[in-house]
Amino acid sequence: MLEQLLTGFDAALTFGNLAFIAAGVALGIVIGVIPGLGSVTALAVLVPVTFYMQPLAAIAFLVGVNKGGTSGGAVPAILLNAPGTPEAAATALDGHPLARKGQAEKAMKFALFSSVTGDTFSDIVLILVAAPFAVVALQFGPLEFTAVLLFAFALLSGLAGSSPLKGLTAIFLGVFLSTIGLDPIDSTTRMTFGQVQLFDGLPLAAIAIGALALASVTEQLFGLWREGETATDRAAARGDRAANRLPFRTFFGYRKTLLRSAFLGSVVGMLPGLGVSLAAFLSYGAARRASSDPDSFGRGNPEGIVATEAANSAVVGANLVPTIALGIPGNIAAALLIGAFMIHGVVPGPFMMTMHGELIYALFASMLIANVVHLAIGTVGIRLWAHVARVPRGVILPLVIVLCIAGVYLPTQSMFDIGVMLAFAGVGLVMRRTGFSVVCLVIGFLLGGMFETSLRQALLLYKSNMTAVLQSPIALIFLALTLFILVRAFRRG
Amino acid sequence: MSHSTTRRGLLAGLALTVAAATAGLTASEPAFAGAYPAKPVTLVVPYRAGGSTETMARVFAKALGAELGQPIVVRTRPGAGGAVGATEVAAAAPDGHTILFAATASLLWPPLTQKVEYDLNSFIYVAQITEYQQAIVAKADAPYDTLAGLIAHSKQGGGLNYADQSAMSRAYIDFIAAKEGVEWTGIPTKGGGEMVPFLLGGKVDFAWSGGIHNRYAGKMKVLASMNSGRLIASPDTPSIGETYGIAMPSQAVIVAPAGTPRDVVDTLQAAIETATRDADFADLVENKLKFPVKFVGATALQADIDQTVTGLRKVVEQTQ
Repeated sequence: MLEQLLTGFDAALTFGNLAFIAAGVALGIVIGVIPGLGSVTALAVLVPVTFYMQPLAAIAFLVGVNKGGTSGGAVPAILLNAPGTPEAAATALDGHPLARKGQAEKAMKFALFSSVTGDTFSDIVLILVAAPFAVVALQFGPLEFTAVLLFAFALLSGLAGSSPLKGLTAIFLGVFLSTIGLDPIDSTTRMTFGQVQLFDGLPLAAIAIGALALASVTEQLFGLWREGETATDRAAARGDRAANRLPFRTFFGYRKTLLRSAFLGSVVGMLPGLGVSLAAFLSYGAARRASSDPDSFGRGNPEGIVATEAANSAVVGANLVPTIALGIPGNIAAALLIGAFMIHGVVPGPFMMTMHGELIYALFASMLIANVVHLAIGTVGIRLWAHVARVPRGVILPLVIVLCIAGVYLPTQSMFDIGVMLAFAGVGLVMRRTGFSVVCLVIGFLLGGMFETSLRQALLLYKSNMTAVLQSPIALIFLALTLFILVRAFRRG
Repeated sequence: MSHSTTRRGLLAGLALTVAAATAGLTASEPAFAGAYPAKPVTLVVPYRAGGSTETMARVFAKALGAELGQPIVVRTRPGAGGAVGATEVAAAAPDGHTILFAATASLLWPPLTQKVEYDLNSFIYVAQITEYQQAIVAKADAPYDTLAGLIAHSKQGGGLNYADQSAMSRAYIDFIAAKEGVEWTGIPTKGGGEMVPFLLGGKVDFAWSGGIHNRYAGKMKVLASMNSGRLIASPDTPSIGETYGIAMPSQAVIVAPAGTPRDVVDTLQAAIETATRDADFADLVENKLKFPVKFVGATALQADIDQTVTGLRKVVEQTQ
């Protein structure tokens, strides 16, 4: 395998290829920085550009875009508390408070370094264990996914918001909202009121950007209007040069969190459909529980940034495990990559490794190279974004509103989505005032569709026979954990 | 999405900022007279980016654009199994500048079973491009090799489970089950990506496939073709058209809104015919996706569609 990988490096290390990786990473970051535009939009926009490239250059370019797009989202979350995706909301939890202390650059460095570390870890996992782990993924059927999702809901309810009950309420409000649209089993319409636009449910990007980014920015604008620019604003804008340094020793001090988060992200990434946001929050929760000072989380503890960014970037590489081993895309980004593979003559499926081994190993090599390139370009980028931190909030926040609207409109070109975004900005504001977690709502919505489908598939598959659970050790473990977490949370509360 | 649409979309997004609250606006292009095409043609694909139809449309658009002398802008409008994009094109100006690349299933099934804003007469069928390779498949080591074998196996007792991918695929399989008096439970999955792990992981006994099984030769076997005819990769396996006299809509077509002038349709049809012979497109469709390139002109296609609709009505009546 090492020999194959070296051949891969040989093929991937050409000047043209490096240039395409660099261009991909840079474009990905720039698109990812716009609230609401993440790696998925970046890939969708840029896939057609690759039609004119050589296969390897095209795939290397897209790998760069995917990595850059995933990490770019951390920038608006840290600087402006305007996360466009739920996973960036996890970064904002500690990233923004740190930026308000005048350490925006340091927060971004933490994010970038953790991102690259998590990414590299999961790339290595992908290269080493693609085939055997795919077998594990096949063990996960609807019953197991239902149990995993219940477990995730229980964990999340304790993470954000003031009480687990409010957290659960917000999550299940999200799940409820996800049932709008065509019924996944009978295809009958539910709560669509005759609107074809609603057949596929409410648009996720519009809800996430509205409730997370737009609501936060609007609230900040109201605050600014009432109080004017405060001393904190001025201090945050000025920044503190010494405090913004991040020596390698300090970063390396978080190695335990880094490893745990990268591992969690890789495991979540290998199971198709669970996704980046879940990984980010699970890892954040794990880091908080493991910490000796859990109360410092949410107030600018760098460990929170490390945990989320390492985990969400680790999903990117691991997501390709089911793609390469079985031909099943782990998420939309992987599905777009599959489309690009096909156009460039690689048929995705279980035989990809044997039929296109050279290209796959060149892809692996490109992924590893892209991590180094990502580190270099990201470091330059931080200096650039640091200037943004110095612009008065009164100037930059209105611009973010425009970007939010453009970000929702761009991928779908639908005015209906803009309306949904505005409505959910209102919902987000109300929830922030009443102590319900907006993030829980968005994640409930995000995973709700999968939860309903898995649950109903399981009910059909086992003919509603509850004892089926006893035959699945994986489901049993996760259900027991769910119960344990909930009982503990409510005893404390 | 090409560069120009990206930029246009961004500009439009900025310009509409003020009017953002009034959702549901659609800018209508003024009607024009003169040679077709007078400006870039928008090819709407009503499915998610990354799937085989969208991939096909992207490559085809390049060839078609070269043929028409105007760029083709591919625009994905996924949703409701294709009904969102179809609704949009049905309402577009009938001047040939907004056309749809879709599976006929998305154009025929929703009007027959749901409340949608288009009907069977909303489109002019310009041309067929290819044919989806729909099948009933099982794991390679399953104890049956044919649909008849599967039915015999089912009659030995114990209901079997199968993975479907849409209400329509379930309706067709349930139609067969009712006819044969066997008990099969449909487990809905969201497309081939979910069906494959269900089948290979042993969660279901057999599955409906829209063509993805071609990538899993050696791991899956075809029990029956769900098309009117046999599949190119399994010429010895009978189709449900032969056995039951019904067939699922299988055509991938380009349609224009009803009312599009005859000469525009003719120009378009001629350009499509030449574009289907494009080497890149043929390579993608035949070698990568394992679909046949199958050009059928407007007249013959309409007759084929009428026949498909007759079979569809039969299935709808019995199962819905």
